[in-house]
Amino acid sequence: MFLTIDTTDARPIYQQVADGIKALIAHGKLLEGAPLPPLRQLAGDLGVNLNTIATAYKTLQEAGLIVVRHGSGAVVASQTSVERSEEELVRPLRAALTDLILAGLSTEKIARIVMRELKLAKESK
Amino acid sequence: MILPTQDWFIIVLYAMFWPIRINGCVRRGRQPLLRGRDWFFDVRVQDGFYEGPGRTILRQYWLRMLIPFAADVPWAIWIFETGRLFQLNFLVVVVSAVIHVNHLLSKGIAERQAQAYAVPESTQPAARIVLSLAPRRLRDYTTPRFEVALAAVSLASLAWLTHYYLTSPLHPGARLVFGFPLYLLYTQVGLLIVKRAVIGWPSPVPLDHADEHMHAAEERRRYYVKFWDWWRAGSVSSLVIWPLLIALPRPTADRVMTAWLAAWIVLSVVATVIVEIKRKRIANLDALARPVALPDLRAADGPAWPVCYEPSAPALMLRSARGYSLNFGNGVAQTSAVYIAGFALLIFALTHMAP
Repeated sequence: MFLTIDTTDARPIYQQVADGIKALIAHGKLLEGAPLPPLRQLAGDLGVNLNTIATAYKTLQEAGLIVVRHGSGAVVASQTSVERSEEELVRPLRAALTDLILAGLSTEKIARIVMRELKLAKESK
Repeated sequence: MILPTQDWFIIVLYAMFWPIRINGCVRRGRQPLLRGRDWFFDVRVQDGFYEGPGRTILRQYWLRMLIPFAADVPWAIWIFETGRLFQLNFLVVVVSAVIHVNHLLSKGIAERQAQAYAVPESTQPAARIVLSLAPRRLRDYTTPRFEVALAAVSLASLAWLTHYYLTSPLHPGARLVFGFPLYLLYTQVGLLIVKRAVIGWPSPVPLDHADEHMHAAEERRRYYVKFWDWWRAGSVSSLVIWPLLIALPRPTADRVMTAWLAAWIVLSVVATVIVEIKRKRIANLDALARPVALPDLRAADGPAWPVCYEPSAPALMLRSARGYSLNFGNGVAQTSAVYIAGFALLIFALTHMAP
């Protein structure tokens, strides 16, 4: 079970960690009850501050995907995040689509990209 | 009780320490060239490096390997002159630690020197790194049965010694009965600290050939965990034999001790051969995984000194302006510092207590 961090990615490290774990849960690679590395291990491995990883875990906890138990570490709580409105779920997609439009991609190309990514996400699950 | 057989054993062990050290020097001496003449340790060097500046850097690295001998030889001469042969045990422990620290520092210096002659593109850190999400806690690398057996045997031995000390009218002094077991138990704690450090050692790897890198890192970790576990088992086995040596009549105790020490020597030779074979396998795995510079993801500037206190950054070693800095904000560094101070106190107490 690997997590990839890209230094050229514009997202901050904590976001990459949270998104990476989220993707592994979504793809069924991290099942309910699976233990996650302790904060200190992850921060030590990446050579970052504890707060960076604590923020990533907090984001995942708020989404209901993990449970952090004091002393025994974090475990995957659920395969699905907490109930959120459609409007809330669509917001990041809308932002990503805006980026693609601003990058000058045609509507057909954007549609192809979205379909390809959706297919990939479903296949890996 | 200093049995006469003990002296020859300590001398034999110390004598065995020398070929092992020389073999270690040969092994470490070859390490810079393990990946071929295009490399100096993990630095990809330019053509002709070993014909030019590399020759000096390599020679200085080889010379620095002799530093531990400079500490060891005068100490050993003093021990033999004063007849305090038991201290050879401490000498072996301390010099072993010095050898490893010296190697780490010396390797760092040599690699930094070689960086000036590195192939330019090879010095660029990898943009993408991969790390394992498998938890690495002490319990993940612990066999409960093994630990229970070690604890039970140690407790039984101590209980018997206490009972013997309190009830036997002819018992020897407290230092003799409990000194050696205390030393062994303290060594156990030290080996557990080392084991914890091995398990916690970070192992992020570049995205390219991530599987090979990750496999090599995990194999190396498991090898060292097993190595230190066997050391602990050996230490506990000495704790078992101690009550026998204390309680048996002198001639019988001498015979038991001679047999025991002879078995130890044979086992040590066999173990050394096995360790060397496994070490070679790990080195081959390491050579397969091509080294890549990893990025520094910390936003803050690195510490300026070889030691620092950064509790918010849990890594044991932090990147600094001059290589790496030992972080005393890390639990292993703190425990090790307390342990070393405690070790010095224990040795002082054992050597100054009434027998």
